[in-house]
Amino acid sequence: MGLALMTTLTLKMQPAQALLVLICTYVGAIYGGSRSAILLNIPGTPASAASCLDGHALARQGQAGRAMGIATSGSVLGTLIGMFFLALFTPVLGELALKFGAYEFFWLTVFGVVISGTLTGNDPLKGWMAGFLGLFVAAIGQEGIYAFERFNFGNRDLAGGIALVPALVGAFGFAELLAVMKARRLPVKINPFDTVIPKLVDITRHWKTILRSGCIGTFIGIVPGVGEDIAAWSSYAAAKRASKEPEKFGKGSIDGLMAAETGDNACVPGAVIPVLTLAIPGSAPAAVLMAAMLIHGVQPGPMIMIQSPQFVYDVVAMMMFATIGILFYGLTLTKLMTRVLQVPQTVMVPIILVLCTVGSFAIAGRLFDVWVMLGFGILGFILKQLNYPMAPLVLGIVLGDLMEKSLRRGLVLSDGSLAPFFTRPISLVIWVIIALIIALRFDAVRALPRRLVAALAR
Amino acid sequence: MSAETETTESGGTEIEVSPRADLISAFVWVAFGLAVAIASWRMDRLESQGATPYTAPGLVPGILGAIMVLLGIMLAVRAARAGGHRLGATPWLPSAGGRAAMARAGWVLVMGLLYAAGMVGHGGIPFWLATFIFVTLFILLFDLRARAAKDETVKGIVLAIAVGAGTAFLVSYVFQELFLVRLP
Repeated sequence: MGLALMTTLTLKMQPAQALLVLICTYVGAIYGGSRSAILLNIPGTPASAASCLDGHALARQGQAGRAMGIATSGSVLGTLIGMFFLALFTPVLGELALKFGAYEFFWLTVFGVVISGTLTGNDPLKGWMAGFLGLFVAAIGQEGIYAFERFNFGNRDLAGGIALVPALVGAFGFAELLAVMKARRLPVKINPFDTVIPKLVDITRHWKTILRSGCIGTFIGIVPGVGEDIAAWSSYAAAKRASKEPEKFGKGSIDGLMAAETGDNACVPGAVIPVLTLAIPGSAPAAVLMAAMLIHGVQPGPMIMIQSPQFVYDVVAMMMFATIGILFYGLTLTKLMTRVLQVPQTVMVPIILVLCTVGSFAIAGRLFDVWVMLGFGILGFILKQLNYPMAPLVLGIVLGDLMEKSLRRGLVLSDGSLAPFFTRPISLVIWVIIALIIALRFDAVRALPRRLVAALAR
Repeated sequence: MSAETETTESGGTEIEVSPRADLISAFVWVAFGLAVAIASWRMDRLESQGATPYTAPGLVPGILGAIMVLLGIMLAVRAARAGGHRLGATPWLPSAGGRAAMARAGWVLVMGLLYAAGMVGHGGIPFWLATFIFVTLFILLFDLRARAAKDETVKGIVLAIAVGAGTAFLVSYVFQELFLVRLP
């Protein structure tokens, strides 16, 4: 939500400046979410949900300051590990991406929507539905080949298509405001805390967890469509399995908190890798970041390593600034920032709503975008109430155009034959993975190996 | 954390949705998917411009519509199996608390629409005034009753006016002067 709003606020800045602000917002938001998770047991972003378990348990034991110190060190080290892989993998993956044709891109977009639908939220079927709805939304307006107007019912504004950022501000921002006011949080009491400066021993003793979670987080970030929340949970689960004291997890385990915080922040640079190399976002916030890059005239994708390789390292440097930022603010401003948590919702919500409205209008100076924001806010709110996840919807909207272009281009190239979609080596691998992901959601398929073994044993 | 959501170890928050609500939403999906598929089928295939069936504008939305119908049917079957077709299984009206919660969200929506579309869009009121009225009214609407119960009515009104005026001034100034954005 913060990222979508900041995109609208940074429109008139120089591209490099704007992207620096946005990357700092992205890294900062994923890190900052741990504050409310530890102090209030309310994750500031979905990515911090895993930090609630041990972070808040530590706070209840009177160790909130120590927990926040661990969160700061975990987040900083996680971002650094992710950054290292960002610098290392982007050129390699960029090289590989040059081998991708329309067929591969088509499957990659489908993969992003399907895996995001499967893993975010707890109901894959609803996740897929949200994802395909997102792909459809992207199909509204003029299509790419003949500029034929679709589903616009004669409306001129709609013929231009649904603009990304107002839709994102609506789905993440306005929908969230409605949900927040519905749930209505009472004024909070914050656990008192001592120093937030991390102890060196808390870091050195958990170096294995930090390295492991950093790698897991980065890898999950690279996978299109799977974001910071999954990275945090996966790192947490892996740390629990590897731990000598798994029974402490959920009751204030330093290892658990360190894993969750390192994992989700390592995911941020990880999620930027496919944005840069494939123009396919690794997570929902990365999708917003990609939309912002497009607005500022940066064209991410396989050609980026050829046309502007410097940009990749600019992004790495921006991540570095963001890391310094969270380290500095995390250690100095925590006491002040926790005051924000005490501002009543009834005061915060109208101010944010004003920003959502102004931000949506500011992009193109037309009222239609405000309507789009409101419409997607209402749609997002209803879908949320029915337990449909937002991330696949957003990813669908971002990937829809590439998906359609790739499918039609592929069909033209193959003269209508579907064979290359299924037989080219990289395509083959991707569609088999997609088929497995979908098939494994059905009990009958999951039971198949057991039945086969039983049949063979007989 | 609200009463109806809880953080689960599998990740994310979980909201209880009744099978009946799922069944109804499944019907909406099927209807929507069908509408999309039919509209795509009837869409001009631009053969006169040399379009082949696989470059026809309706191809992709048609496929997406069909997939939404399929997924909608799967959701309907699942919801019906869970008992969603039994109309009296769960009460139709939410509890008093649930109604109050929905009413709050409804009011936010109404206020948002009035502000964004009504005042800012067509009202002819200057942006700063619309923002001032909106923020102040919003805080009064949602905050004043609780303040009144604590005998802080005057404080509540002063706070609402101060935040309203502050927001109106800051947003107008920051957007116009610093971000150089044209305001509605």
